[in-house]
Amino acid sequence: MDPTVLQAGFDLLGDGRPETLWLGIGTLFMLIGTFYFIVKGWGVTDKDAREYYAITILVPGIATAAYLSMFFGVGLTEVEVVGRGTLDIYYARYADWLFTTPLLLLDLALLAKVDRVSIGTLIGVDALMIVTGLIGALSKTMLARYTWWLFSTIAMIVVLYFLATSLRSAAKERGPEVASTFNTLTALVLILWTAYPILWIIGTEGAGVVGLGVETLLFMVLDVTAKVGFGFILLRSRAIMGDTEVPEPSAGEASAAD
Amino acid sequence: MTDDSTETVAVLNTTSAVGIGVCFLLAVVALFALPTLERQGIGFETAFWMVSAVELVTALGIIYFVLNLHEEPE
Repeated sequence: MDPTVLQAGFDLLGDGRPETLWLGIGTLFMLIGTFYFIVKGWGVTDKDAREYYAITILVPGIATAAYLSMFFGVGLTEVEVVGRGTLDIYYARYADWLFTTPLLLLDLALLAKVDRVSIGTLIGVDALMIVTGLIGALSKTMLARYTWWLFSTIAMIVVLYFLATSLRSAAKERGPEVASTFNTLTALVLILWTAYPILWIIGTEGAGVVGLGVETLLFMVLDVTAKVGFGFILLRSRAIMGDTEVPEPSAGEASAAD
Repeated sequence: MTDDSTETVAVLNTTSAVGIGVCFLLAVVALFALPTLERQGIGFETAFWMVSAVELVTALGIIYFVLNLHEEPE
């Protein structure tokens, strides 16, 4: 199918890239998210909360830079693929994921309070997931691209399985507040992360069912939700405060907080 | 965000705080470095893997520094 069957966007820079509209919006959302988290976290003194803030601010922070580089065309290259011609590859997206996905997983691992070996294993498999995806993105035959996509997807399933089983059990032991926040965040990660390989396989780098404009729009929505949305849910939760057994707020406290 | 006044303020490990900042800056610079690397005569794939390695290493650095963000109590 013609990769430009579904196309969307607006060429903001006049360089023939309609997807710059979505890249510009993505840059803006990531920047707003970064500043929102900085303002929200300013003056926080709780030891554990500081760690969550440090990680969660850096995630949209680096994504802002990645989106800006893609917006200006710095994070873009062309790959010659046998039978498909020249593909535009936004490589900055993969570099962004190499940086941000380990940090998102660290947030969840800190919430579940698992040991450092578990954190290392989780992040190791995550790195494998992104690196195999990178190899696929640069491969010059469709067979190689799909094979690396499969490896990457299997690694992603392992990461998600680990989150949904052992980390979930560990979070449950830390009390209802932590368990509730962890379950919400894990559900978000399970849904959003599963959408990435699906979008890749139907997008311009895979089967080419959707054009670069729609693909960029959908990746932008996924990225903003997986980074800013994730951080918003995490940082408004009382589960990030020091002690595991945070007392339930009384009715008066709850209404005062609102 | 408000904190309970009863809690003790944790002491930041300055080295870790600086380390997080340095790693973040390196990661940002790396995102824009590929065209410069190519102008230095480095091929795209080599430059690409160099950038990717910087992103991964800086992420690991940040994880290390975040896990050691506070001074251990005496």
